[in-house]
Order: sequence, then C-alpha cells, then structure tokens
Amino acid sequence: MVQKTLLGALTVLMLLVAGAGWAGEPVRTGKVTAQLIADRVAAVPGGELRLALVQQIDPGWHTYWRNPGDSGLPTEIAWTLPPGWRAGAIDWPAPERIPVGPLVNHGFHGRVVLPVTLRVPAEAVPGGMVQLIAAASWLVCADICIPEEATLSLTLPIADPAPADPAPADPAHAADFAAADMARPQPSPWPARLERAGPHLTLELAAPDLRAERIAGVWFAAHDSTLLDHAAPQSWGLAAGRLRIELPRSSLGTAPQADASGVLVIDEKLETGPRRLAFALPPDLIAAPVAAQAPSIVQILLAAFAGGLILNLMPCVFPVLVLKGLGLARLGQAGRGAARGQGLAYTAGVLVSFALLGGALLAARAAGHAVGWGFQLQSPPAVLALAYVIFAAGLGLSGGISIGGGLTGAGQSLAARDGRGGAFFTGALAVLVATPCTAPFMAGALGYAVTRPAWEALPVFLTLGLGLAAPFLLLSLSPALARHLPRPGPWMERLKQGLAFPMYATAAWLVWVLAQQSGADGVLAALLGMLLIAFAAWLHGASRGAGRWTRTLGLLGALAGLAGAGALLRLPDAAAAPAESVTGAVRWEPYSPARLTALRAEGRAVFIDATAAWCITCLVNERAALSSARIAAAFREGGVVTLKADWTNRDAAVSALLAAHGRAGVPLYLFYPSGGGAPRELPQLLTEGLVLAALAGQ
Amino acid sequence: MQRRTILLAGLAATATSLIRPTSARAAPVIGAPAPDFAAPDITGRPIRLGDLRGRTVVLEWTNHDCPFVQKHYRSGNMQATQAEAIAAGAVWIAVISSAPGEQGHVDAATAARLNLDRKATPTHVLLDPDGRIGRAYAAATTPHMFVIRGDGTLAYIGAIDDKPSTRLEDVPGANNYVRAAVRAVQAGQMPPLTSSRAYGCSIKYKTTS
Repeated sequence: MVQKTLLGALTVLMLLVAGAGWAGEPVRTGKVTAQLIADRVAAVPGGELRLALVQQIDPGWHTYWRNPGDSGLPTEIAWTLPPGWRAGAIDWPAPERIPVGPLVNHGFHGRVVLPVTLRVPAEAVPGGMVQLIAAASWLVCADICIPEEATLSLTLPIADPAPADPAPADPAHAADFAAADMARPQPSPWPARLERAGPHLTLELAAPDLRAERIAGVWFAAHDSTLLDHAAPQSWGLAAGRLRIELPRSSLGTAPQADASGVLVIDEKLETGPRRLAFALPPDLIAAPVAAQAPSIVQILLAAFAGGLILNLMPCVFPVLVLKGLGLARLGQAGRGAARGQGLAYTAGVLVSFALLGGALLAARAAGHAVGWGFQLQSPPAVLALAYVIFAAGLGLSGGISIGGGLTGAGQSLAARDGRGGAFFTGALAVLVATPCTAPFMAGALGYAVTRPAWEALPVFLTLGLGLAAPFLLLSLSPALARHLPRPGPWMERLKQGLAFPMYATAAWLVWVLAQQSGADGVLAALLGMLLIAFAAWLHGASRGAGRWTRTLGLLGALAGLAGAGALLRLPDAAAAPAESVTGAVRWEPYSPARLTALRAEGRAVFIDATAAWCITCLVNERAALSSARIAAAFREGGVVTLKADWTNRDAAVSALLAAHGRAGVPLYLFYPSGGGAPRELPQLLTEGLVLAALAGQ
Repeated sequence: MQRRTILLAGLAATATSLIRPTSARAAPVIGAPAPDFAAPDITGRPIRLGDLRGRTVVLEWTNHDCPFVQKHYRSGNMQATQAEAIAAGAVWIAVISSAPGEQGHVDAATAARLNLDRKATPTHVLLDPDGRIGRAYAAATTPHMFVIRGDGTLAYIGAIDDKPSTRLEDVPGANNYVRAAVRAVQAGQMPPLTSSRAYGCSIKYKTTS
C-alpha cells in the first residue's frame, strides 16, 4: 500500500518535472489552436475529473454554441476512453450573439474553454497511467467557414484516493477553468414562465432586483434551434419588478411542447464597468404552472394569516404557546389588565421579529443572495446561537437556576419573566423557533412575498406574524375565553418543568443539524458552549445569596462563561459535498439541474424532495411518507428516479428550483411523470397515501 | 359589390403591411404561396416562378466554396438528387446569392463551368448578387432547400438531409429530406417532413440593403 502510494507520488513528481500531465500537446489547425487540459494533476478512482477543450481562435473568426443559430455547427467531441470511464456532455458557456448580414449566429470568439466532466471508475488502479483521447471537430467561420478537426490526447497518472485530493493543475489552467465557471450560465434566481402568444413566446421573470437604467441589453438564446427566429430582434421591458421579453418564434417550431430551455443573457452597465449575467432556464417553463393565475393580494394575506395560525400547532412553537397560556392562567381574573398588556406585548414581539426577519430576507435578496424562509438556519453560527437560546430557555424552565435572578440582557431570563418585556421577548422567541417549520398556506404566501417589492412583501410577513400571535392575543383580550383556562396550582410548576424537555430535545436536534453543517468540530463547539452556559447559570445562581465579593466574582465568572460560549460561535462552514443519501428504504441521488434535464430527456419519471436538515416539517414528512418499504417499492416499480435537493446549506441550484415553482423555502415535493409533461406539486404535509396516489397518476 | 370587395381587400392589405414589422424577414410559410421572382438565368433566359405553374420546383441555394456544399457535390449526393427530381418532372433552380467580392460569388461563365466540372445538371442557375431572391425566401445557409408544388405553394423548407456536418462519410446513412419531399409532391401527398433547420455556411449577402 505504502509502496503503491510512493509509486504514485513518484509518477506525479516525474510528470511534474517533465512538464507534461494535465495538459496535452496543443494542436494547430487552420484557424484554431486546440488543447486538452485537466483541472487536477491526477485522476482518482471513483472520483470525477474535469477536462476541457480549449480553443484559441484566430482574431475575426468564431466557433459555435450548442445551438449555432441560423448557420454553423456546434463543436463536437468524440471520446476514446479506457473501459469504465464515462465522459459527460460539454458544459457550454453562455454564447455571444454574432450577427452575420441578415442572419444571427451563436458562438464564441477568442479563447473558449469547453469543460467536460469525466467519471473515473472505482476499479482504476492507482499508480498506473491513463490516456484520454478526444477527437474534436468544429466549424470555424469569419465570413467564410472552414471545418476543422483535431485529435487531442492527455495522459494522466492515477492517484490513490486517500488522503487528499490531488493538487490542482498549474495556475494557467486554473485560470481557464475559473473563466469557464464565470462564463457558465447560473441557475436563474427568479421565477420564470413562458407563454405562447401568436407568433411570439413571452418570457416573464419576477426580478425585483433588476434596475432598468442599468440594463444595456437582454437576450434569450434557446437550446433548441427550431424554437426561435434567431435574427429577429427581441423586445423587452421591465415594469413593477417583472422583466418581460418578447421572443419571435421560428417558423420551423411546430412541436407544441418544444423544449424551451436556454440561456438568458443580461448585459448590465455598472459604474464599475459592464457586467454580463447569464442564467440557465429549465426546459419545462412552458408547462410550469407558476403563477398561471396571479393570486390577489387579499388571497395572499388570508393564506399568510391562516399559515401563521397553523404555525402555533407546529412542534417548534407549541411549547412556547403553552408556556404563555400558563402565565396567563396564573394571573387569573384579578390580573385582567396585566394580561391584556402581556397579550399586546407578545404580539408586538412577534410582529417586530417578523418585520426584522422579513426585512433581512428582502435586503439579502436585494443584495443578490438567493435566500428564502429559514435562510438564517443555513448559517452554522445562527443554528448554534438558536441552540444556545433554546437550551438556556430549557434551563430556565427546569427551574432552580437563575430564574428571575437578574441575568437581565440574556434572552432566556427575559422570556421567562412575567412582565411585558418578558412577553415581548417570548414573542420574539416564538418567531425564532418557528423558522424551522413551514405550515400549510405559508409556502405560497412567502413565495409571493419574496418576489415583490418591500412595500408589498412586508404586509405579508406582518400578517403571518398576526396569525401566529392571534391565539394568545385573543386569550389575553377576551375574559370569556380566559375563564376557560384551568385554575392555577402547583401542577403548573410541574408542567413548566416538564416543558423544558421539548426545549432540550429541540436543542439536541439543532446540534444534529450543526453536525451536518460543520461536522464533528461543530458538535464539540455546541456541547462546550452549552456546558459553559449551564456553568454560568449555576455560578451566578450559587453566588447570589453570598457576600458582595463572592457575588461579583460569581457574576464575572458567569459572564466569562457566556463570553466563552459566544466565542465558540465562530464555526467553520464545512458542508460536505452532496452525496447519495438514504431515508428508511428509499435511496436518494443528489439533485442537480443537469441531472434532472438528462433524466427528463430520457423520459424517466422523477420525484424531487427539496428539503433541509433544519426543516422540521421536511423531516416529519420524510419519516412519515417517504421512507417506508412500500414507498420504496412504488418508486422502484414506477421506475421513478428519486432526487434530493438539499437546502441545509446555501445552494443556488436548489434556490433556483424553489424559485421556479414560486417558493421561498422548503419543503417542496415535485413529481415528474414518465414520458414528459408538467411536474406535479405535492402538498406541504405529506402522507404515504398522497405520494402513492401521485405516483399512480391520480 | 365587386368594387367594394376590392376596396376592402386593398384596405386589409394596407393594414397588414402597416402592422407587420418592416425589419423582420417575412419568412415564407409551408402551405402558403412561394414568393414570386423573375431573373435571367446564366444563359440569359428570363425565368419567372409564376411561369412554372403545374410543375414541381426545387430551389437550391449554393456556394461552391462552402464546405457543406462541397460535401454534397464531392459525394455526388446533390447531383443524384437533382437528376432524380428532374427525371420525375421537376424544375431544379440553383440560386447563388453571394455578393460581389464574397465567397461563392461567380459570373455566368464560371457558374456554367462549375456545372460541367461537377457533372451537375440543374435546370437553371440564377445569379442573385443583390440578395433579393434570397431575402424574399429568408434563405440563410448554403445549401438551403425549398420544394414548391405545381400550384405555387411551399411544400418543404430546410436542410437537404438530417446529418448536419461537413463529413462526406455522413452522406450514405443520411435521410435525404428533399428527395422524400419531391417524391411525395409528385405523388400528390404531403412530404413526410415539411420543414427542418437548414444547416451550412451563412449566405454571404450584400451587407447594405
């Protein structure tokens, strides 16, 4: 083993010295210098390897994109690979629009990098060498055209998989791959739909962050060469945060369900200079039912209120509500005035938190981040902070430790205090713990809100908050309702202590989320931080009755403990690359737009579970409806490929998928029937029966 | 009555021409009348599409230096397709829309010699250096093929076959759309495929028009 590793290392070293390896010999054809390059100095068995065909095209000449436009031919690569090696399709960069007289072509000038991902078989033997051969052919045109071809080859060593990834190739090629990544169309952050209108297709995107005065040009290039009239000018307009582009159809496009995928190119003129945005639009836009009939604002607000109301019953919020109910019961009939004050303060707490959360979300989106409901939980420090708060609240409920002990400033004691301030912070806590949950009705309302300007979005957030606050507010305002509350007694203290356990359970779950985001180090940090919080609470409580010096010492020690816990919030973001996962009997492949497009092109049925480890609703659904042997059998029999779109960490592709279906958060369940057709959305609360019915096409 | 109809038709035509974007190439439509044209062929004989009613007409846009055109002439594919169509009673018109100074632009003598050299037998060759005919048909590439029925309507627009490449070895396995369209039209049937994306070199039109 050691010998083999040494041998491999030696080979790499020898290749390094020889200056060969991750780049093949450049080949000069008539108008192009072509070369095959790799992004690693060695291939790893079972891994992936990125190669690229680089074309250095003579000035004035161009090669073509996958849809070449009115004339021309796309560049093609035919691979000759050892058994078991698989090459993917060219990962095309966004094209240029090249007018040629009355015609328009799509292609590239200058230096073009066309990346291809290769799968290395697990059986590849470390220490050996592999030769990868690409027969590339292209048409290169100025005003006249010349077909050219080149056989390019690259010889790479096969390295041991462990311990580390082989070094990246030399900086020149790193720059080529970086340029290719820059030029590659990104998933669109904006919900889009395409409509047929006579001789046109109308592409409409909800893009509140675009500014008309900054846009120098907008252009949509379809993948299918028979969809659009390439030379006809596309007119566009931006109004009320919606970008509309009129796409004149090709007289060739006869198929009613044509593949409408393509690349949207937006040229912006910024103070810092021109900037080019390129977004990949998915193939099912024509069929996508997104906002086919835009719901009215009244419907949206009603849905938001209902969603907020139902949120109270979610496992995240329910204990908080019971807690406040208990407080109210203790005040009894005598404290009507105090009760009303608390109800209003709680409501204010909820509304202010929702406004802050909504504001932060909209601000982040305006800054160009693809974020949605629960976005703060995609950040490990935020998850840890929430775990701390919930753990501390649990400590407070357990009693005996520092309750009302004057640890003012710390959230848990504020929330446990019975005054108006306490009620306000309980409201804030309720919102904080509610974020991992999505209730029915909420998804649509939030999806609408995040695509709207702030003055339209904030009312939606506030109505959601009003729904969340409504039960407690009603209870505190209405004497008739309050009369039904149970009589106070010693049982209340027991119940309160009992409610600490759901809090601990929530904290434990958050640590599990953290484990997925930051690995074992994150778990250690969380446990140490909680230990310090418990220690601080104990130190402070124990020193309370003592003399002045001891008390000061106790307070200082407690503060030091809290500061230590705070310092642990600096967590690494060590998200693992998405891999195959298993829930119960069902095996999930990681979602990627390319994989979905490929499966749809093959006519396969696909089920997508858009989920996150921090989304309780998602986890409940997965356990209840997506993991049994029966479901697994149904997936297998129907030939359904199951893809998991994991949003635990920030992921632009998943955000784009959600946006394309008018959503701002998880869960989202999509079923694409076999043989094409529009995807079907399943409800937010799943049952096995619902999934089986959807698979059976009912 | 008659006058009123004419007046209405005139108004409608004016309205249509106003509504139509003037910049767009008015792409010909399958089933609609093919744009008429009149031009002398390389022997000086005046050719008018309207005079060819009753006969199937094939239009072939060509440029002898374009590698896509060369593929079909070097393999003998274009000549064979021409010969078969003409034998079946069709009129085959090759059109050269390359502007002066551009690739593929030839005078009448050169065009005639090219036919001899390549053993090509089109019924007529039209020179269209100002691109008038090409633009009327929205011809984009060489080759770009059009099949017109005896009643003057368009039956097929597009590529010669289903193998967009410049490789001669792709010709034997290709599905020749033009041959199929001519056979169908001669038999009074719809072609199996009425349109496809033409592939080839862009036509070297005169830049200002």
